[in-house]
Amino acid sequence: MEYRIEQEMDLQKKLEVLADAAKYDVACTSSGVDRKNDGEGLGNCTAPGICHSFSADGRCISLLKILFTNECIYDCRYCMNRRSNDIPRASFTPQEICDLTVGFYRRNYIEGLFLSSGIIRSPDFTMELLYQTLRKLRHEYQFQGYIHVKAIPGAAPELVERTGYLADRMSVNLELPTAEGLQMLAPQKKRSGMLAPIQQVQQMRNQNKKELTVYRHAPRFVPAGQSTQMIIGATRENDFQIMKVAEHMYKKYELKRVFYSAFIRVNDDSLLPALPGGPPLLREHRLYQADWLLRYYGFETEELLSEDRPDFNVFLDPKCDWALRHLEQFPVEVMRADYYTLLRVPGIGYRSAGRIVKARRLGSLDYSSLKKMGVVLKRAVYFITCGGKQMYPVKLQEDYILRNILDGKEKLPSGVKQEPAYEQLSLFDDPRFSV
Amino acid sequence: MSSCHYLMIRVFQCEDTLTGIMTGVYDAWDSRIGHKNVRLETACNKTMELFCEYVWTEPDIEKAEKVIRTVKSRLGEEAFDMIAYAAACVHDKKADAIYRMIVLGLHLPDGTLISSMLTQPDVRLVFELRRRAWHMAHQYTGFVRFRELENGVLLSEIDAEADVLSLIAPHFADRLPMENWIIYDRRRGKAAVHSRGRGYFLLEEVDGESFLKLQSSGEEAGFEALWRSFHKVIAVEARVNRKLQMSVLPKKFRAFMNEFSETKTSAQGKNL
Repeated sequence: MEYRIEQEMDLQKKLEVLADAAKYDVACTSSGVDRKNDGEGLGNCTAPGICHSFSADGRCISLLKILFTNECIYDCRYCMNRRSNDIPRASFTPQEICDLTVGFYRRNYIEGLFLSSGIIRSPDFTMELLYQTLRKLRHEYQFQGYIHVKAIPGAAPELVERTGYLADRMSVNLELPTAEGLQMLAPQKKRSGMLAPIQQVQQMRNQNKKELTVYRHAPRFVPAGQSTQMIIGATRENDFQIMKVAEHMYKKYELKRVFYSAFIRVNDDSLLPALPGGPPLLREHRLYQADWLLRYYGFETEELLSEDRPDFNVFLDPKCDWALRHLEQFPVEVMRADYYTLLRVPGIGYRSAGRIVKARRLGSLDYSSLKKMGVVLKRAVYFITCGGKQMYPVKLQEDYILRNILDGKEKLPSGVKQEPAYEQLSLFDDPRFSV
Repeated sequence: MSSCHYLMIRVFQCEDTLTGIMTGVYDAWDSRIGHKNVRLETACNKTMELFCEYVWTEPDIEKAEKVIRTVKSRLGEEAFDMIAYAAACVHDKKADAIYRMIVLGLHLPDGTLISSMLTQPDVRLVFELRRRAWHMAHQYTGFVRFRELENGVLLSEIDAEADVLSLIAPHFADRLPMENWIIYDRRRGKAAVHSRGRGYFLLEEVDGESFLKLQSSGEEAGFEALWRSFHKVIAVEARVNRKLQMSVLPKKFRAFMNEFSETKTSAQGKNL
């Protein structure tokens, strides 16, 4: 039998352990705040955020994403750092995190720091450590880049408050979409305990906005807002339930983003599902698409899904799927339809819709100019007319459109292997031959 | 000469910079032979055409300033922004499109509308080029990698298709005001040089060899190794998707990014 005796790690080893432990956190965005340097410090922030590299999984690396420590008093079944796992444990010191962040930032490797942590000793103790780190970075090193920090559920509100004045974004992960799922896989965590800091940050943000209107130079509290994350596919929730939770988080708690993370089985636990086909990446993709529809396109969850149809169509994106079920609202005349109607056309995004609305005031549009403006015609062509004309004669039939869209011209997202149901060819009524 | 105005198109060849193109706009307008009888070209166009007379316009800051002032006041900052970004792109029709856009804009009762007049092919091209240049500049704000030299200066080398140096330098000047840094554009032999607390300037005809060989500071190798191992472990094995990585971070950018210099990584791996 081999024994592993805990040894003092060097910084390189620590970084490997604690970045590895943080990698399942999805949020790596550095967006939402525009801040110039005050002329004496280090760093600034730009509203769209900046990606500094991309890892082998194709995800953007924007922030130095690390845990403060991977020691944890909890024993959540889905988590690599659960108490009962026998893995190397490490903790940074605030000084080490500052050195890493500043060293990386000066070399333009990163846009800022993403600091999460396992719960060491108690939530208060952990939150205090995160606060100390941020304070050192902001005040001693005059760091003005982006900082995303976790609010630890169960930590004292005043600690969360003090930390919030130093961070740009705060987040609390909901972990699982419903309280029942949480009860099963993370029995030590309570949904109400997670919502408390979210609510606190929301209230303080709103209060802070009022202060800022009176005192322009008042310190800003979590200027880039809050986000959260849910694991998809570890428990039995359907897409409808997940989207309802996300919608609730956006409406009630004014969250900036909800992230979805396809479940990856890192622990062998009898309560976790086996995933022979790999993580449910396609499902995650559809949820993100629907998430954008909620946030930017004025859709509601009920329009996309219902109790009877609780899951997204794997073959079609949610918007196209919606459009096919609401053909009575099409075709849309591009020269006249209002912005919100345009937004609902598959193939027209919020940018191209904005361009169309501006450009048509100054002249008439045609299909080639639509294409140049960024409209994806191979999708939109079934749903629009331009100057009263279709681009070429197409039928407004669900079956016909569906088949043409899936007709091999479009690359299906990886994960869809199954072919759409075959149909017996007929000489006379096949829609593809009767244009 | 006046008789051939109707037959010959006068092509104003201008330098491939914003100043050059703006001077071209000035001269083309000033020639008073009718907008349809003139054309602007950046010097990169090699093939000459029949029935054209070619005129070289010497870049002139005063003329360019005049045009820029007119554009800003009559067509608005938005339109100028479009033009400035589009001028950084590589495209053989860009100078002429910019000229046509300015001509059209100055004929509108409200010139500021020009920037959303995407039904006009020339405006559309400028718009498209602006988007391209903006995107590339944005990519470079992330993909630039600095290396610390022994004297503390941060040095970076890029090889950009579009002339992004003047577009990204203000970003870094704001971000790293208390550092001395240089971004060197290998393709154009230009460099943006920033000195601590005192802003930046652009240098042309820079000989990169003189400073690219300089030794890195003692800390540099350590940070590079840390960054490389961070870059490696942050990827989730179950989600590896090289194709996606390639499409969002094409190889042309990787040459200057130390996390992709494989040889050093493997050497590091052996040491551990």
